[in-house]
Amino acid sequence: MSIAGDLIRGHTDAIILARLLQGDSYGYEINKVISTLSSGRFELKEATLYTAFKRLEELGHIASYWGGSGPGARRRYYAITPSGREACYRLLSEWRETKEIMDKLLETEGTP
Amino acid sequence: MREQLERYVDLLFAGAPEAAEVKQEILQNTLDRYDDLIDQGKSPEAAYRLAISGIGDINEILGQPVAPAVPAAPAEPVSESGKRKNPALAAAVQRALGVAAFILCPVPVLAVQDVEGVICLLIMVAGGVALMILAAFNAGKQEKDAPRTPQEKLRKSLNSLVWTFAAVVYLIVSFLTQAWAVTWLIFPMTVAVNSLLEAILDLKEATKHE
Repeated sequence: MSIAGDLIRGHTDAIILARLLQGDSYGYEINKVISTLSSGRFELKEATLYTAFKRLEELGHIASYWGGSGPGARRRYYAITPSGREACYRLLSEWRETKEIMDKLLETEGTP
Repeated sequence: MREQLERYVDLLFAGAPEAAEVKQEILQNTLDRYDDLIDQGKSPEAAYRLAISGIGDINEILGQPVAPAVPAAPAEPVSESGKRKNPALAAAVQRALGVAAFILCPVPVLAVQDVEGVICLLIMVAGGVALMILAAFNAGKQEKDAPRTPQEKLRKSLNSLVWTFAAVVYLIVSFLTQAWAVTWLIFPMTVAVNSLLEAILDLKEATKHE
């Protein structure tokens, strides 16, 4: 994993919520999209992903149901709830603010 | 390979029958990843390895549902062959074998009284050292998840210092005095000294907490 791994992992909940904003999905599919969007530079471990699902579900930000596609494959799908939607927007605006501040703090004059 | 993945995940959750749904979910994700890697042209072996490494630390999950007062049953590390390993036990056995190798290493010299005897001695010493290192490694592995306080660190380094010191003293004294029949007593004495040190540290900590 790249150097930014830990920094990104701190935003696991926001990342998952943002994915579910696009529609219901399940563990591997979400991870696959994360991997694709980051050009293979970032990916969550199953354990981390699952722990985040569980936390978000307890918070009422997501709901889950068992669904199947294809023979024999039972997958747990996750859907974002209205409160999850709100949380996602809040986290996104927080991130934008953080990003803006960090840019100002780090990108001083003379940085390559 | 898919069956092997299933068996691997089964073993991973063997200590947590209550986590059947989690297991099913993790297994399905892992199988999806495996199939995807195969589709990308990976060999079954490579896909298996990558799928397993994608699971991460199961303790992250299993550590949570249990009530906080009761420590969660730690998912023991499972080797590729599916055999469970207890690092603490392995460390104890290796340490014991290492000490035995040190104690017994003069036997070939006494028995053969020749170059072969000395070679045997050196091999046994080397084996003993290797076992001690393995034991320390296993003990370290076991403590990886445990909270490491400065006291614990002190204890660990003190412990290894004592044993290394004992081994060095044993070899030097033995070679100088040639009293191999007696010098092995250094090791039982080391156990005593070690226990004494532990007791002193325990006492110190106990008084500090009061």
